[in-house]
Amino acid sequence: MTSPIETPLSRRSFLKWSGAATAAAAVGGKAPVLYALTPDETKKSFAKPDSRYSVCGMCLNACGLVARVENGVITKLDPNQKFLKSRGMLCARGNAGIQQLYDPDRLKYPLLRKGERGEGKWERISWDQALDLAAAKMTEIAEKYTRCGVMFTPGSDSQSLFVHWFAEVFGSYNVSTHESSCLLSRNRAYLDTFGEVPFADVLHTKYIIVVGANPFEALITPDSIDLMTAKKNGCKIVVLDPRFTKTAGLAHEWHPIRPGTDMAFFLALSHVITSEKLYNETYSQEKLSGIEQLTEHVRQYSPEWAEKECEIPAADIRRIARELAAAAPTAIVYPGRRTSDYVNSTQIRRSMAIVNALLGNWDSPGGLLAARQVGLSGPELPEAPFYDDNPEHRLDKGMAKMMFEEEGAFKHMRDAIISQKPYPVKGWFVYRYNPLQSAANRQKTIEMMKQLDFVVTVDIAMSDTAWMSDLVLPAPSVLERQDPASGLQGSAACACVVARDPVVPALFESRPVFEILKGLAGRMKLTEYFDFTMEEYRKQQFKLLPDADRAIREDGVYYNPSKLYGIYEGKIYKTLSKKIELYNERYAQMGVDPIPVYQSPKPNPVNQFRLVVGRNAYFTHCTTQNNALLNELMPDNSLWIHPVAAKKLDIKDGERVEVTSNAGKGELSVSLNNGIREDTVYMASGFGVLSKGLTRVYGKGACIAELIEDYADDISGNMAMHETFIRVAKKGAL
Amino acid sequence: MNKQLAMVIDSSACIDCKACTLACKVENNVPEGKWRNWVKRSEPDFNKPDWMVHSASFHFQPGGCMHCEVPTCVQACPTGATYKDEKDGAVKVDPKLCIGCGSCIPACPYGARYRHPTRNIVDKCDYCEKRRARGELPACVVTCPTKARVFGDISDPKSDAALLLKKNQSVRVINKESDTKPNMYYLSATAPLNWPVKARMPDPIQLWKMAGPLIWGIVGLNAIGVLIMLGKQILMNDKAPETDESHEETRQS
Amino acid sequence: MKRTIMTLASLVLVLVFAGSLLATDKGNSRKGKSTFRKGCRDCHVEGGKAQEMSPSNKTQAQWDAAFAKDKYKGFPCKAEWDKLTPEDIGDIYAYMYEHAFDSPSPAKCK
Repeated sequence: MTSPIETPLSRRSFLKWSGAATAAAAVGGKAPVLYALTPDETKKSFAKPDSRYSVCGMCLNACGLVARVENGVITKLDPNQKFLKSRGMLCARGNAGIQQLYDPDRLKYPLLRKGERGEGKWERISWDQALDLAAAKMTEIAEKYTRCGVMFTPGSDSQSLFVHWFAEVFGSYNVSTHESSCLLSRNRAYLDTFGEVPFADVLHTKYIIVVGANPFEALITPDSIDLMTAKKNGCKIVVLDPRFTKTAGLAHEWHPIRPGTDMAFFLALSHVITSEKLYNETYSQEKLSGIEQLTEHVRQYSPEWAEKECEIPAADIRRIARELAAAAPTAIVYPGRRTSDYVNSTQIRRSMAIVNALLGNWDSPGGLLAARQVGLSGPELPEAPFYDDNPEHRLDKGMAKMMFEEEGAFKHMRDAIISQKPYPVKGWFVYRYNPLQSAANRQKTIEMMKQLDFVVTVDIAMSDTAWMSDLVLPAPSVLERQDPASGLQGSAACACVVARDPVVPALFESRPVFEILKGLAGRMKLTEYFDFTMEEYRKQQFKLLPDADRAIREDGVYYNPSKLYGIYEGKIYKTLSKKIELYNERYAQMGVDPIPVYQSPKPNPVNQFRLVVGRNAYFTHCTTQNNALLNELMPDNSLWIHPVAAKKLDIKDGERVEVTSNAGKGELSVSLNNGIREDTVYMASGFGVLSKGLTRVYGKGACIAELIEDYADDISGNMAMHETFIRVAKKGAL
Repeated sequence: MNKQLAMVIDSSACIDCKACTLACKVENNVPEGKWRNWVKRSEPDFNKPDWMVHSASFHFQPGGCMHCEVPTCVQACPTGATYKDEKDGAVKVDPKLCIGCGSCIPACPYGARYRHPTRNIVDKCDYCEKRRARGELPACVVTCPTKARVFGDISDPKSDAALLLKKNQSVRVINKESDTKPNMYYLSATAPLNWPVKARMPDPIQLWKMAGPLIWGIVGLNAIGVLIMLGKQILMNDKAPETDESHEETRQS
Repeated sequence: MKRTIMTLASLVLVLVFAGSLLATDKGNSRKGKSTFRKGCRDCHVEGGKAQEMSPSNKTQAQWDAAFAKDKYKGFPCKAEWDKLTPEDIGDIYAYMYEHAFDSPSPAKCK
């Protein structure tokens, strides 16, 4: 056979696929050496493209996809059209998943730090050396400081559950995930109102108030897509946001609310709804607890009062209350996702949950929905050992009023590690978690790391946290992995189960964290707890779902036709009163305001701006900025500032500025933007990185985690990321 | 009526997530800095009183090659590499014939073409011809979260695109001085509208067109024109000025 | 006088939190979870010999009642209880109570 490159025709066919592979691997000239594209591979005959189901892992949504494989190389990711949760779409990040797989910046081998932390001197070591070292270090710390002396941060990936399990059998309950930087306060608030964390039936709703959320940019499936469908079907969208986000720009109304005053708006809605009796009396008698207390409590919070706080005209507040009530129960105050904003973020979300409860926007079409049954079983694993010498509590015990049992609050745990109280923690196991970019006050995270004797990070790329670690272990992307099954809540779209199988073999020496943990368990006399294969694990998960395995093979997803509406009919609620609680009885017992009491946010210090955090559709928190495809959409971050405010500071569009807060500083360019309040500034996350292993993004922009001061919600311990004021000055003017 | 592939776009559904631009980029190996398609935006008039509450709106407008009825790019091509395929009505570039001269780039009012930095040809949207051969929709269409792009044969009255077109008022986004009769239809009220530029035809062809019948018979001159372009291309190589400025927008935000 | 007030105040608090006077002291709930799972979970599991048992099956008041002094002597699994030390029982009680149906963090024993 002649080489395909010799005749023009063959050359074109060659380009047809090899071009696809190389270009997809490194769009942008720098041609990487592709593991899968060895010379031998290129001489193979041109196979028909093969399509394989998988599930996207670029963010937490887990949207179904179809990978096109040509000669062992993935050449395209397309949406799985049968995937109801994502409404058969794949977003920009999903499309860029291919770049995560073939990124030359990927971690390829286990790396051991040689110089100082963060200096970037690494030695390539073998997996045996790496696992021996990690096991020895963790055992050493356990013996010296108890097993709780190692903190685990399992990330939020479909294999994170094995990190949780490892922490449990290793014996540490110092576990924290991304949740305490994200949605803990929302969960707390809804749990303490409805007894569970709801989903929103956006598709069928007729009126939706979106506050502190940005679903057209921070994509949530199916909510983001359903919001557009709902809009086409006549749903009215009202957005409150200090920023003119794309959601605000596509809504019917945008109210640039004064940051931190959302609660005033919602207490005023409750005021109008109760004083004008806009709620259903029978419903309130049957389902709600505390209507009298609420009516009495919100009497003080008139729309006229709220106008002074939120800077939204009283007439608009009153009108919105009436419109919302008229649309109820086919109406939603959108619970949102990230609610890590203020020191009273749980109470802010309580004030929103209360409006939903009051109007009965619950358990029926177009309202909030209870979780549907998915049906996965928890595999039977041996009992985790109990270590008697362990301290009684997690590090952050008592640092917030009502923290969850399973996971700690990162901010509080970090403080405890720095102060070494109540007890020392000296080790840290990190899996796909990057607090150096995602947690407020980067300097404090660095300070915390100074207390640690050993940090091991497992990730796909050299995140800032990996960069500052002692041992870095390469993980494959989701396209190269076999994963346990995951149950997904798709609100009105579906309740479904997905499970990945590798589309292509793992590149380089990357190993899934499941294999890494097995390796560690084997070295720590914990073999029996990881004595199962992924197939065995999945088989047990499917114990009660006989059709799931086949459905996932045939369609890429299994749907459980479980009940959607009326789940709570004839059932009691998981609250003290056994009803939906407008007035929270447990809060009353614990000395927490049983109905939210308004506190005005701290005023802006003179010549300072409130810094707000927010997503766009290209980046997942701080993880995809260095992806060549996505990076091209936004190669740098800039400071959004209103032209009037900029003029006062004599700053022009595109000019470089220095930004400083009480936590840290940064330098970036300015983009004048009419779509932001004059007292507020914004920048995208994930820039100003420490890691030189992120070659495209290194040296670009400012790091928001460096600037944000570390406050926390006093009830849930959720990080409070909108409590920071920053100074902005022309570069060199400070 | 011949088959005419077209896109009917409900730009009011677009959320500017850029899924279509990346799907296209991966599918068609479009190099860094270049795009085959785009999303344009129109911003509210921030100077209007009370703009923030009731009249504030973004409008995002997905686009790409419009596969025009009167394609100025075809007219501008000296070698016949750019042609309108009679079989499906799509405007295509035959890479075997393309000499990479770039005459077609300013001849397109929409900035839908770019010069490929390494292949020395001009590249543009072909409605994902290879995908269609496998029975798949174009990458941008299938990936769109809100299904703002509807693709099909508008001469087939039963196609989704034709039905959508029939049921709704639509507009074509053009430059009045160079109405190329695009096969890209937007449901009415799309924005922005004023962005297409006047088609700039390359000189020899301009001459040829102006002189019309006079020169029509003088094949030799035409050939000289081609030679001039070829020479120009060899001399200028890749340093030809970039004209697809409209793509700037996809990189912002 | 000041001290008496303090004592009274803390007594009120105990009353509020515990709901009733208890025969068993609550111990270490993390240890309780482990002890419960090792000693009781074999039977108290879905499809097991006895009723499935999880902290979230009962309210805090119901757990108080269940752990009232010597009440277990009437339980079918009295023999198993007898094997446990008062500390073990206190630990299990703490686990059940802290994650009861109406607690801040209700838990199913998984």
